[in-house]
Amino acid sequence: MFTLLMPAFALLFQEASRGRLAVAWQKAEHPDLSKFLIIGALLFIIGVAGVLTRRNIIVIFMSIELILNAANLNFIAMSRYLQDTGNENAVAGQIFTVFVIVVAAAEAAIGLGIVIALYRNKETILIDEIDILKW
Amino acid sequence: MVLSGWESVFFWIFSIAAIFAGLLTVMARNTIHSALFLISSLVSVAALFILLQAEFIAGVQILVYVGGVMVLFLFVIMLVNVGSEERGNEEIFNRPRQVTASIIFCGLLVAVLIGALNTGYAGFEERDRTKLQGSAEARLTRDKDLATSATGASRITNDTSRIGNSLYRFASLPFEIASVLLLVAIIGSVMLARTLKQEASVDDVDPEVLRKEAATDPELAEVQSEPIA
Repeated sequence: MFTLLMPAFALLFQEASRGRLAVAWQKAEHPDLSKFLIIGALLFIIGVAGVLTRRNIIVIFMSIELILNAANLNFIAMSRYLQDTGNENAVAGQIFTVFVIVVAAAEAAIGLGIVIALYRNKETILIDEIDILKW
Repeated sequence: MVLSGWESVFFWIFSIAAIFAGLLTVMARNTIHSALFLISSLVSVAALFILLQAEFIAGVQILVYVGGVMVLFLFVIMLVNVGSEERGNEEIFNRPRQVTASIIFCGLLVAVLIGALNTGYAGFEERDRTKLQGSAEARLTRDKDLATSATGASRITNDTSRIGNSLYRFASLPFEIASVLLLVAIIGSVMLARTLKQEASVDDVDPEVLRKEAATDPELAEVQSEPIA
C-alpha cells in the first residue's frame, strides 16, 4: 500500500518545493468563475454517465434533471460574472434559468406519464426490456 | 467575481456535497435513495445560487424542483414496482461493455472540459482584468443603501425585483408561451396516464380493441354504456 502511494507523495513534495501548492491553495481560497463552471461541468458529466449506464428509466430521468441543473449553474455563474464586469443589471442568465426550470417541470410531468402508461402495458421500467419498436 | 472568507468555505462544502450527491444518485441501487440524493444535490446547487447572489432562483429551485418535481418522481417510484432491482435480483447498470465505454467517454469529457475551462477562463481574466479589479468594492458601495435584514447579518437584496422587471419587460412573450407549455404538459400527462377503463368511459377506444378486452375483463364490459354498433 505504502509503495503504491510513494509516487504520489513524491509528486506532492516536488510540487510543494516549487511553491505550486501555495498558489493552488491561494486559488482554492478565492474561488472564481472557473470553479463554478468546473462544478457545473462535473455535474453535467455525472448526469451523462447516468443516462448512458443505468437501466432504470426513472433514474435516467433523474440524471436528465441533473444535466439541466448543471446548465442552470453555468447560467447563474455567468450572470454574476457579467454583473461584476460592469453591467450591474445583467440578469438574462437568471431569467433563462427560470425557463429551464419550467421546461424541466413540463418534461418530468410528460415523461412520468409515459412511464406509468408503459408500466401498465409492459410491466417493466428497464429500458433494455422495452423493445417493441425494434424489429 | 472572487469569493473570499466564509463564502469560499461554503462554496467548497456545497460544491463537494452537490457532486457527491450527484454521484450517489447515479450509483444508488434503491431508486428512492436515488431520488433523495438528487434532492440533496439540488439543495446544494441552490446554496451555490445563493453564493452567486441569485436568491430568487435559489428559492424557485427549492420550491419547484424539490417541492414539486421530485415529489412527483417519488410518487411515480411508488406506483411502479422496482422491487427486484432493490433486492439485488436485477443488474442496475447496462452490460459491462457499454458501461466501460461510457465511463471512458465521460473520463475523456472531464479531462477536456476542465482543461478547456481553465484556459478559457485565463483568457477571460486577461480581458476583464481592469473591470474585475474593484468589482467587490463597487458591489459593497452599491448595496450600501439597501435595508438590513432582521438578524442584521446581511442586507435585503433587490435581486427579485430586478428579475421581475427584466422578465416582464424583455421576456413577456416567452413567459406566456411557458404557461401554454405547462397547460399542454398537464393535459398530456393526464391523457397518457389514463387506464383502458377510463378511456372506455369517455368512448375513446377502438371498438375492436374494447370488444376483445371486455371478453377478459368483466368490469370493462359494465363501463360500456351503450352497445357498439
